[in-house]
Amino acid sequence: MQTFVQDLRYAARQLMRSPGFAVTVILTLALGIGANTAIFTIFDQVLLRMLPVERPKELVRFEWTGSFQGSMSSFGGDSRNYFSYPMYKDLRDKNQVFTGLLAAVRGSVGVSWHDQAENEDAEIVSGNYFDVLGLRPRLGRLLTPSDDTAKNANPVLVLSYDYWKTRFSASPDVAGRTVLLNGHPFTILGVAPEGFHSAIDGYTPGVFLPISMTETAMPWTIPRDDLNNHQSVWLTLIGRLKSGVTAQNAEVSLGPLWYSLRAQELLGYKSASPRFKDGFLRRTHLKVLDDSTGFMPRRADLKTPLLVLMGMVFVLAAMCAVNVATLLLLRAAGRVREISMRYALGAARSRIVSQLLVEGGVLGLCGAVAGVILSPFIARVLVQLMTSSEDTTEAPYSASLDLRVLLFTLALSLLVTILFSAAPALQFLRPRLAETLRQSSGTASKRSQMFRKIAFGLQIALTVLLLGGAGLFLKTLTNLRGQNIGFHTEHVVSFDVDPTLAGYGDDRAQQVESSVLDAVRGVAGVQQAAGTTDPEISGDSSNSNYSVQGHAAAEEEDMDFESPRITTGYFATLRQPLLAGREFSSADVKGSPEVAVVNVTFAKRFYGTPQNALGRLISEGAGSDIKYDTTIVGVVGDVRHQNLRDTPRGTVYRPYLQQKHPGGLRFYALTAQQPEAVESTIREQIHRLDPKLVVDGMRTMEEQVNRSVSNERALAMLAMSFSALALLMTAVGLYGVLAFATAQRTREIGVRMALGAQRSSVVALVMREMALTAFLGIALALPVAFVLSRLVRSQLYEVQPGDPMAFSGAVLISVLMILVAAAVPARRAASVDPMKALRTE
Amino acid sequence: MIDLRRIERSYKTGHTETWVLRHVNLTIRPGEFVTVMGPSGAGKSSLLNVLAMLDDQWHGEFFFEDEAVHRMNRKQRADLARRRIGMVFQSYHLLDDLSVAENIDLPLSYKDIPRQERQALVADTLDRFNIVGKKDLFPSQLSGGQQQLVGIARAVIHKPSLLLADEPTGNLHSAQAKEIMELFTKLNAEGTTIVQVTHSEENAKYGSRVIELRDGWLYSDTAGLPQQSVPAGVQS
Repeated sequence: MQTFVQDLRYAARQLMRSPGFAVTVILTLALGIGANTAIFTIFDQVLLRMLPVERPKELVRFEWTGSFQGSMSSFGGDSRNYFSYPMYKDLRDKNQVFTGLLAAVRGSVGVSWHDQAENEDAEIVSGNYFDVLGLRPRLGRLLTPSDDTAKNANPVLVLSYDYWKTRFSASPDVAGRTVLLNGHPFTILGVAPEGFHSAIDGYTPGVFLPISMTETAMPWTIPRDDLNNHQSVWLTLIGRLKSGVTAQNAEVSLGPLWYSLRAQELLGYKSASPRFKDGFLRRTHLKVLDDSTGFMPRRADLKTPLLVLMGMVFVLAAMCAVNVATLLLLRAAGRVREISMRYALGAARSRIVSQLLVEGGVLGLCGAVAGVILSPFIARVLVQLMTSSEDTTEAPYSASLDLRVLLFTLALSLLVTILFSAAPALQFLRPRLAETLRQSSGTASKRSQMFRKIAFGLQIALTVLLLGGAGLFLKTLTNLRGQNIGFHTEHVVSFDVDPTLAGYGDDRAQQVESSVLDAVRGVAGVQQAAGTTDPEISGDSSNSNYSVQGHAAAEEEDMDFESPRITTGYFATLRQPLLAGREFSSADVKGSPEVAVVNVTFAKRFYGTPQNALGRLISEGAGSDIKYDTTIVGVVGDVRHQNLRDTPRGTVYRPYLQQKHPGGLRFYALTAQQPEAVESTIREQIHRLDPKLVVDGMRTMEEQVNRSVSNERALAMLAMSFSALALLMTAVGLYGVLAFATAQRTREIGVRMALGAQRSSVVALVMREMALTAFLGIALALPVAFVLSRLVRSQLYEVQPGDPMAFSGAVLISVLMILVAAAVPARRAASVDPMKALRTE
Repeated sequence: MIDLRRIERSYKTGHTETWVLRHVNLTIRPGEFVTVMGPSGAGKSSLLNVLAMLDDQWHGEFFFEDEAVHRMNRKQRADLARRRIGMVFQSYHLLDDLSVAENIDLPLSYKDIPRQERQALVADTLDRFNIVGKKDLFPSQLSGGQQQLVGIARAVIHKPSLLLADEPTGNLHSAQAKEIMELFTKLNAEGTTIVQVTHSEENAKYGSRVIELRDGWLYSDTAGLPQQSVPAGVQS
């Protein structure tokens, strides 16, 4: 013990004596550990972590195949992950393999209490939701099947733990209190348990409502009659397998039930073609999938970027390890004489080795602690980048570290440092005492010189890889941001207002939206204002099937078109070019002739030119008995509607005021000054109309565009940051290696200079070996980079995986870095004074 | 060949200035074999560094074959030294990673000599020093005497007019030392001017002239005197 304390004291003294070395090693370790922990924290949450419910491995979800006609509402992912409510009930009641089957859907509701009102995310769930998940209430009670009986009969809700804490100040007597939900009184039953957010992974609703209250929560679904409609799919289902039943067993067992239910449903499709019937009944299958990590529609989108980031961080961590190992070995080589002297004075091998291990351990521990301190900051930046929002509290992933990840990282870093410490210790197991003591400076063995060269080559290769990746992602981001969206994003502010969430019915909603529009237009500095039911660059899409007079559509022909409902002045507000005809006017209201404006893609497909499209007739829906009742009155330019990667597709714009069941609108206001300047005034004006009206998601169009490329931006920014770190680390590593090599070769350089070598040839001598190693590193990296970049093809946009510019840039930057890092040691080598170097006589 | 006038050299350590050469006046004629002697710290190696043009921090006048070294810049001095001077070290200073032939080639590699010509010169030198059989060996595979032999071969391969040797036999036993000194005598007889630094009276006997330094001063010089009668206490 006393020896250990002595070693500890000696280690501390050694580190204090060379603070530059200690700080470099600790910072390198901290960066490696910090970045790794942070990325893994997010990676774990998105891809690995199981739902915080009872026995999550028993949970499964479903996906179906086969043809379908009807209404599909999805909140992300494949629409084949969603089911109708009648189908849910049948599957729930007739299966033999589940202890329970729940249904859930995402929604947004207006919540008001004590004169406060806000839009809040809600999860609309079956009554058995909490039972199936095996959750206990934090307070009061949770929903039960008795709270989900008949349509509109159960105005009750459960608060999420976070919502209860932040909005209800964790009030212990919240159960039994009433809040207004979309203007209707709802009783709070209780609070969900802490740590549980939703069965939909990454979703953080504030309230849970029974499915029976769907029409109150989502009034625009009333016409669909979702609770009785077989042809409206909108629910995600999660089942809990009975003990001993596997997902495969369940899939086999559910097969016959699924086919019989589909056969029943087919009866509802009266005019379906034989081909459709075949697809509906024969080519259909119900897949049972593991759901232990929860259904997350964005998981597929996030998986590749996260895997890429994880790969990059792994590379960075490997570089940290190599760098620390190099630094420790260099230091060890510089201490050969000291250690040899200790041996010569009678020190046992075990003492020498234990002393080195303690030194390495102290460094490792300091690095690990610094890394753990650093990682939450890196994680927060990561979450901000991935969500394009500075507020990380509502992000689906948390920046706080998981204890498992923390312990794993700590253990890993300690293990790594002990290994690094053991490497120099091994070097001293067979010391060449006489030889080393005779020399004026320490020498390194051929093996450790080789290790340093390989380490440096590896670092260069990894740096080129990271830089090349960063180049590709940066180019992707630049290409995306440089896209012509089809409208102007500057000086435009946008926000949502949904009167139905404030309790207004169908009859009043349009009137309220018109008042809101007038109020916005009246704000000083607002030049134009308009609204749409189908927001731009938000990822949303609203489609309708259309028939075109004079065009006989083939059976498989895609006649689905983007069909936003827009207010007057929409194209003028977004400065979307009007190519022919006119915009909608205030005369285009219910009762007046139905009109439409189409985009140029639609016009060219059916009429050849925009001009030809004017006056032509179309109709929503399909069938032989269709009545062509809508006249095309204008043609506008194409826009990228869902996101920047979107290819413009046929679009039919219809007047909002001709809509039968109006819902919320996203408003756009074109401003004379910076759009942020009018935001508060707009809020005030709308609040003045009705304090219950909630202005939600207010942001400039530029912010909206940035959000839509958040994945690409996160990848580009992080790849650049990692590359910069890698460059720095390689520079530090190279500097260390060259500085050490120069010190080792002082005598040789002195001899060469005494024999007539010029300074330039000395510099060349020092640089030559490293230049060769760097060349080999780069030669190794380029083909690997080319192969790896093909794996991230899906993340690139208008950039080829092996883009020569990105990779030549990476090589150029690496070479520049090599030159900068080598400059100081090379200069030092060139200024070796032969007289001093040879003064050993 | 060499004319030193009032050469002075000192080192500054903090506020203290230590003089290692003081008012040294020395003339060495072509073909001389000069031995520099004196106790440790007398300035022997410093004088050799000045002569080798490795040091350029001295004051005074230095003429080498009528060229004013004191008026040359560092590059010109290095160039002159590269062409006209060869050096032999006590610790041989052979480069461990180079073979015997490569070590001998080293001074030529720093001159603009075509590769073939260099190879011929190296082959001649190996032959002249009877070490052809060892040309592919590395220094660690040679004895001390053999290493010094290679060191001398390396020093004279470019046919310098002045050969400087700093304790050339300091690490050798007497038989090896004798061999080396006989080699020096032979080279001197062939026309090479030699200046050696040594502590050995025995080695000094091989030379034609002995100068002694003490505390940086030129204490005695046998120039112009018959062999074996070295006056003491003469200051220049």
